[in-house]
Amino acid sequence: MKDGKINVHYVTRVEGHGNIVVDLKEGAVKELFWEIPEAPRFFEAMVRGRSYADAPHITSRICGICSIGHTIASLQGIEAALGVQPSEQTVLLRKLILHAETVQSHTLHVFYLAAPDFLGVNSVIPLATTHKEPLLKAIRLHRLANEWSDLLGGRTTHPINMVVNGWTRLPTPDELRALRQHITEAIPDLEAWVGIFKTLDIPDFERETEYLALQRDDEYAFYDGAIASTDGGTTPVPQYREKIHEFVVPYSTAKHTNAARESFMVGALARFNNNYQKLSPLARWAAEEMGLKPVCYNPFMNNVAQLVEVAHCLEDGVRIINELLAMGLKEEDRSIEIKGGTGPSTAPSTAPSTSLRAGLRTGVGATEVPRGLLIHEYTVDDSGTITGANFIIPTNMNHNNIERDLKALVPTVVDKSQEDITLALEMLVRAYDPCISCSTHLLNVEFV
Amino acid sequence: MKREKRVLILGLGNPLLGDEGIGVRVVEELKRLELPEGVTAIEGGTAGLGLIGLMEGFQRVIIVDAADMGHPPGRVVRFTPLEAQFRTAAAPLSLHQIGLGEVLALAEALEVAPAEPIIIGIQPSRVEEGTGLSPEVQGAIPQIIRIILDELDAS
Repeated sequence: MKDGKINVHYVTRVEGHGNIVVDLKEGAVKELFWEIPEAPRFFEAMVRGRSYADAPHITSRICGICSIGHTIASLQGIEAALGVQPSEQTVLLRKLILHAETVQSHTLHVFYLAAPDFLGVNSVIPLATTHKEPLLKAIRLHRLANEWSDLLGGRTTHPINMVVNGWTRLPTPDELRALRQHITEAIPDLEAWVGIFKTLDIPDFERETEYLALQRDDEYAFYDGAIASTDGGTTPVPQYREKIHEFVVPYSTAKHTNAARESFMVGALARFNNNYQKLSPLARWAAEEMGLKPVCYNPFMNNVAQLVEVAHCLEDGVRIINELLAMGLKEEDRSIEIKGGTGPSTAPSTAPSTSLRAGLRTGVGATEVPRGLLIHEYTVDDSGTITGANFIIPTNMNHNNIERDLKALVPTVVDKSQEDITLALEMLVRAYDPCISCSTHLLNVEFV
Repeated sequence: MKREKRVLILGLGNPLLGDEGIGVRVVEELKRLELPEGVTAIEGGTAGLGLIGLMEGFQRVIIVDAADMGHPPGRVVRFTPLEAQFRTAAAPLSLHQIGLGEVLALAEALEVAPAEPIIIGIQPSRVEEGTGLSPEVQGAIPQIIRIILDELDAS
């Protein structure tokens, strides 16, 4: 197809969600847009004027898939603003539940959304016949992740047990041992999928770009760290604005971002490229089996990186459980101590405090959710009321990179039929698994 | 986690978007009642494909969700997937575009969920940012609960 337009439009509740628009002239891209709206802006307005304690629960609703990650970023931001340092036990439990979400989301994405593309079918439904056993393994992995987040968070989605400076309910040692057993039993299911993925034909497409991810010296960072770049250097989270620049483009209500170059990528591949050395042995084995090596510039390999991360989260989940069992879980004082001012004062962590130090406090939380770096920034006043918030979701950071990838991909497939070009573009966008209109799922029904 | 896997009542939606939260609201209401043994009421939020894992293994599933059916606000309709056509994304670009229609189709193909879920759809009046239900949808809650209890009696 040398001339003509490709318009991939999706039926969603709001106009202009997730559309790919390409205009080809004599085999060259005349115009290409990736149109998408800003998702979480109204949540920023929604938390203003509310108690700091409400923010994690409200923002967990930004996304039905990343609700644990939003809760954690929110807790971190609020705790940073209030000068609260959560205990080692609290942090370990948060790391453990965040792994559950990564497994949950990555399995859904890799097995239900990406696998059909690579196996040459148009949706997961035909795979229920041709690949029933592998899909049942995927469902088992997914069920494990549900059990995992339910045990720690109190629910499979929208966790309720995580609060500022602690947990309202701790798992028992027996529950943790049972979870450890189930995680161990799931590892062969993951290995079977690695075996399938190593045989698949992943499109051979590369575009060099910058990859940003949190980084730590002691572990493959998910929960926290400094913002690292494959172009070199790290930026402390509170200075994120020095690294990540947001700007507006005319055809999209979503802000675009850049850092050292014209665009950058966040997500599983970005984490892999920055932190490969810290992966668990099982995850490194999976990467080698599937031919993923850092630095990989092929965005389609994000799917493979996700599978590698599932392996890491299973193995690291067992490690964290062992550490928690060795420590012995204990009920902790969740009241918060406000640093500075005339001396420490305390306030219950579930209610707004009237004894916070006068003036505004700002805090930034940053965590790695399945789709990449997530930033929550809050300003809290002296009564514990939120006066401002800024959320940057990974998908917004990726928009610019997706668009540049699409522009680079088109010339490599331009000799194909319109249908095949469209599929290639869709597969590329799917590899990023962008967040599109995730805060609502209204049923749209016609009776037959 | 062992549970008596008989009937699952699954409330869907987002309570921060007005009437879109009715499914979640109904589950809260049901949790205050004494439900018969073997009946579990849970909130599915907007979990999309994640719902498959939640429905797995139950003998029956009753789904409560806001549904745009072209009816007056607050109208409650009980239907099965066979009686309805869901407008869905043909080739979803994202997990976020996967709705109940796709979820039910896959669950059926994999034979992991009850063959014929029942859907209780409520026509919303207002789906926009903000908590709280419209008077029409709020007023429909007793009727929704009654329909669910009738379904439980019948099973």
